[in-house]
Amino acid sequence: MAAWLRRHRGLIPYLFLLPGGLWLIVFFVLPMLTMASVALQEGSLSSGYRLTFNFGIFPEVLTRWNEQFLRSLLYGLAVAVLTMAIGYPMAYTIAFRGGRYKTILLLLVIMPFFTSFIIRTISWKFILADQGFVLGTLKDIGLLDEGFRLLATPVAVISGITYNYLPFVVLPLYVALEKIDPRLIEAATDLYASRLQAFLRVTLPLSISGVFAGSLLSFIPAVGDYINAELLGGTRDTTMIGNVVQTLYLNNNDYPQASAISLILMLGLLAGVIAYTRILRGQELTA
Amino acid sequence: MPDPRDPNRIELAIARTLDPRRRLSRRLFLRDAGRGAVLAGGMLSLPAILAACGIGPGASGSGGASASALASGGAPVGGEPSGNLIFANWPLYIDQDEDTGESPTLQMFTEETGIEVDYQEAIQDNQEFFGTIQPALAEGQDTGWDIIVMTDWMLGKMAGLGYLEAIDVAASVPNFVANASDKYKNPSFDPNNAHSVPWQSGITGIAYNPALTGRDITSFADLLDPAFEGRIGMFSEVRDSLSLALLHNGVKPADATEDDVRAANDVLKEQAPLVRGYYGNEYAQELANGSLAVTMAWSGDVFQLQFDNPDLRFVVPEKGGILWIDNMAIPKGAQHPADALAMMDFVYRPEIAAQITEYVNYICPVPAAQDIIRQHAEDAETAEDRDYYSAVAESELVFPTDEMLANLYSYKVLSEEEEQLWNTLFQEVTQG
Repeated sequence: MAAWLRRHRGLIPYLFLLPGGLWLIVFFVLPMLTMASVALQEGSLSSGYRLTFNFGIFPEVLTRWNEQFLRSLLYGLAVAVLTMAIGYPMAYTIAFRGGRYKTILLLLVIMPFFTSFIIRTISWKFILADQGFVLGTLKDIGLLDEGFRLLATPVAVISGITYNYLPFVVLPLYVALEKIDPRLIEAATDLYASRLQAFLRVTLPLSISGVFAGSLLSFIPAVGDYINAELLGGTRDTTMIGNVVQTLYLNNNDYPQASAISLILMLGLLAGVIAYTRILRGQELTA
Repeated sequence: MPDPRDPNRIELAIARTLDPRRRLSRRLFLRDAGRGAVLAGGMLSLPAILAACGIGPGASGSGGASASALASGGAPVGGEPSGNLIFANWPLYIDQDEDTGESPTLQMFTEETGIEVDYQEAIQDNQEFFGTIQPALAEGQDTGWDIIVMTDWMLGKMAGLGYLEAIDVAASVPNFVANASDKYKNPSFDPNNAHSVPWQSGITGIAYNPALTGRDITSFADLLDPAFEGRIGMFSEVRDSLSLALLHNGVKPADATEDDVRAANDVLKEQAPLVRGYYGNEYAQELANGSLAVTMAWSGDVFQLQFDNPDLRFVVPEKGGILWIDNMAIPKGAQHPADALAMMDFVYRPEIAAQITEYVNYICPVPAAQDIIRQHAEDAETAEDRDYYSAVAESELVFPTDEMLANLYSYKVLSEEEEQLWNTLFQEVTQG
């Protein structure tokens, strides 16, 4: 084996790629193709499904579910902005002011992952319950109206998703910020840049790769999320596109529609990500 | 066969350990298990996705068995018991000894008949379970089960597909004929009980918290009252929600035409902005914690919730509620049909029916069980047991009054097209 490898040295990189490549083919490419095929089929559970190349399904589901598509994108944007607004100062503080507590602080950021996110989301249900210890207390001391509620509102859904994806934003931001040589910032201030200018012209551009990774890691899963919408929302006007897919698949057995929606979502996000990359390319993405 | 490490079974075991006294009802338990189902959603859908990959229905692996051998011959099953019985039922749906974990009913059955019972809590969901046995049934093969317990609408569907063995209740299940309430004989979903006898049943109606509503709730119209905005609960199960709306419009679900269903759906659409959520089993928790003032509800859950909050009330809506029935049936090609018939007959002895009802708290199809449970209350050794037994015996949720029963209707057995229509319409209500 070793001798063989020595003779075919050029193959080694491909061998390294093999496990990951196989994994992608089996668990991503094949399901993708299946999904595309299912989207173009027509039929029912009892009579079976046949491939009829029904491309009309794409405009059909877009029109039928445009409201839910749009809502998911809006929620995703809101989550990306919120996680960035909360996560950037967090990562900044840990990276530049963390000192010897850095490791502990990072551990705290990752800590929630030690519990299933379903359990954590259900906990939010208890925390935010109408008569729970937060709202109940505020109502008792008269700060909130008796009928006020957070659960089953868009606020609860967006907060829930923001909470769940915050660590995915903090970690890449931290990695990017940690790499910045503090002397660069010192140099900027020595050259009469104000602290704000130094941040805007040195720190931020140097951390843009973290912003890029973090915003994608929150936005993409947020758009497809359905657990938060189901557990913290559950009403008609908090329905996200993921809930629609779930109902179509598991309840209505309408596989073609569900597949078509998933495909549109996936390709739409892909196009969005490519555009986003182009916009940020001007910045130093490779920093 | 279930994996002993199946998360549902583990949760079940935990639920039993934590709460042996309160006899967690099936639906109440599933309230929590349902959370897991959300997580497992991806996995659950896998077979469904595979099934959708252009493969015809029922085309599972070992094709080729002659379906003719089991062609829908109408001759009822019978013969000599073989000594074995494989029984699929829902979780927490039979009596269980708190110390040994064994079911006294099954032990007595084995002692008396010599038939060994392999009892498995294999059914979590009608559709899902049907999905697991449908390929075998379509091929004319044995499903591995001798008794399955299916809710009426699914039972009607299976009978229609020729997937169930015929039963002659007069000859093979005499205790059913002698002891079952008339309400359970000759049901619309299975005329003459040609394929099934009920296991337990329950009511879909309305539950409310008088402290939060401030008034008595009597009808479905109360679920449409803007005064309760944001505190109204509905079911995500299309059959339940649409059936109650149909009854509200004065239509019996079984007679509903497409126009009726559309009209009922419009009622639900108009109601949607007032609704807090469309729930599975988790509504019970929301009712208990005060998030819901008034909600659609299943009778057995409310009976259990009342132990913690005696103020909670359950009503059959004025214009009618649903009596759903879970039924025992023998799948086509079952290996031990005579043993299955023996079990069906056995649980229709009043004392056995009483024993099961004391544990599961659903509606007992045997009226005579009520007096037996009263007797158990009188004979009880501790005050706690006495209170419990008399609560069961006197509850209208376990032994509904004739007046209640007269106002209950069955689900409609839906054709595939109807099912699609109902689902599509109702999704407009729940998801826009």
